[in-house]
Amino acid sequence: MGIFVERNKLTTLEEAAKIVKDGDIVAVGGGLCLREPIAMLHELIRQGRRNLHIVGTAHGFDVDLACGGGIVGTVEETHVSFEQDFGLAPNYRRACESGAVKIKESCCNTIINQLRAAEFGMPFVPMKSIKGSDEIRFHPEYKEFIDPFTGKRVILVPALEPDVAIIHVNKADVHGNVKIEPPYVADVLFMRASKKVIITTEEILPEEEMKRIGPTIPYYEITAVVHVPFGAHPTSCYPNYAYDRAHIAEYMRAASAGPEVFKNNYLDKYIFGVKSHADYIERIGGEAKMRLLASWKESREKWMELFTYG
Amino acid sequence: MVNGFEVGIDELFVVNVARTIKDRSTVFHGVSSPIPMVATYFAKLTHAKDMVYFGGVSSAVDPNPPFLPYTTNDWVMIQGRTAMVTVDKIFDLAQRGELDRSFFSGAQIDKYGNQNVSLIGTPEKCKIKFPGGAGGCNLSADCVNYTIWTTRHRVQRKKDRAIYTLVEKCDFITNIGHVTPYGSRRDLDLVGNGPDWVVTELGVFDFDPETKVMRLRYLYPDTTVETILENTAFRPVIHPDVRIMDMPTKEEIELIRQIDPLKVRQLEFQPEELRRKFYI
Repeated sequence: MGIFVERNKLTTLEEAAKIVKDGDIVAVGGGLCLREPIAMLHELIRQGRRNLHIVGTAHGFDVDLACGGGIVGTVEETHVSFEQDFGLAPNYRRACESGAVKIKESCCNTIINQLRAAEFGMPFVPMKSIKGSDEIRFHPEYKEFIDPFTGKRVILVPALEPDVAIIHVNKADVHGNVKIEPPYVADVLFMRASKKVIITTEEILPEEEMKRIGPTIPYYEITAVVHVPFGAHPTSCYPNYAYDRAHIAEYMRAASAGPEVFKNNYLDKYIFGVKSHADYIERIGGEAKMRLLASWKESREKWMELFTYG
Repeated sequence: MVNGFEVGIDELFVVNVARTIKDRSTVFHGVSSPIPMVATYFAKLTHAKDMVYFGGVSSAVDPNPPFLPYTTNDWVMIQGRTAMVTVDKIFDLAQRGELDRSFFSGAQIDKYGNQNVSLIGTPEKCKIKFPGGAGGCNLSADCVNYTIWTTRHRVQRKKDRAIYTLVEKCDFITNIGHVTPYGSRRDLDLVGNGPDWVVTELGVFDFDPETKVMRLRYLYPDTTVETILENTAFRPVIHPDVRIMDMPTKEEIELIRQIDPLKVRQLEFQPEELRRKFYI
């Protein structure tokens, strides 16, 4: 991790995205359908970033979008799918099967322990699992070792220090203090292990207000802050909004129809053809859509409806 | 006989998975696991009230979700919880040997219970990519025991070939069963004891204590030993007392319908399987 003491880290999506360089190891926050940094991925796709090495645990929309947007060179995730909701991830599969991305599939506890090694400032961590699994074939860097204390076989996995973490959060102040609502997934680990951390946030709070509620992560771990309401859409960012199942259904239709249809019907419409994130929000349904996705809190029935529409 | 209370294959399947959960145990279900999600919550409300229940990757302790959602990582799954932990704490529990049960599946499952959730082909030249095992590679090694489930036991016959889920040998081992080409669990110094139950839409298996090969224990009312043999690429051990599984009670089935109004439990089944009904 780095130490960042600037008093005002507030910047734009455009400027913050420039922190991410071609070929960087990028930790992508959130997971599956929850709190993924989608607005930042849009900007990286617009800027034509290439050959990123994406790391994370169980993900879905974000990794599939990044693969479909052409910015990924290597995927080191543990699982990429839309679960039983929409099933397999079309762009991710195509990229793996065509050889467009290098597969470095991993496992959740392995990634977590590698991030913790980086957090602790240690070069590697021994693990008792992995032995017997072919997962080791994705990772020539792992080393089998005999624990000198017990004589048992362990696998040494190296510290994982991403170049940049991109994380979408609920609240931040301009100094970089961050408040996240649970579940954190691997986000706190990502922030502690990565060299730089870019935050996109639903809300900017006055510093006094942040002090009062208490940040999840203190300012010195955060490199840049961008104010992006609805920045995780179409994944959820509770309590503000549930996931946008109808939009994901539209995405799946485009992605499943092949790269050309995906470019014309999705990338051009929602990423290359929009002027700003505010413009994106208008295209996906504006105020009315935002109100609908916030309606989960009104009743159990309203919440259930958000899982069936689309 | 078409009278009595109707039970769907999905509901009976949930009960079969729930029966593998013991009271007073620590239990975690992972991502892309709709049936274990329903089964674990059902067990918590019925025979395993003192289970320590980690409701998926959201990692709430003993949640009381208002309904079960289509994704395992949603605020629905942290409602009514006792506490939140971070997901790394669940993996710590496992590597200490204190996670009693989890649930894993695969596009291929071999006779020793190894599972392929990764790919067909090689890491360098991948022919078919599956989603990946999430926590399965680590947890299948570390959990005290785990349940394997699949709703795709039935062989798919294409023009010139048959595609089995229960295979002699996996093309790639993501999650570890009892014996791997790299050695047995003992040879590998693994923490946990491996899979103890396999629940499919055709039967319920444990593992032969001697050979560590899958062993048929229970059939559904509409399946036979022949059904199992026809749909399995290897020769499973047949327990001498193989019999039809016990039917759940009407109250149990009503509870499943109540906790799972969106019918998450049906998402993994082929439409034709869902036509299978049983009567109690």
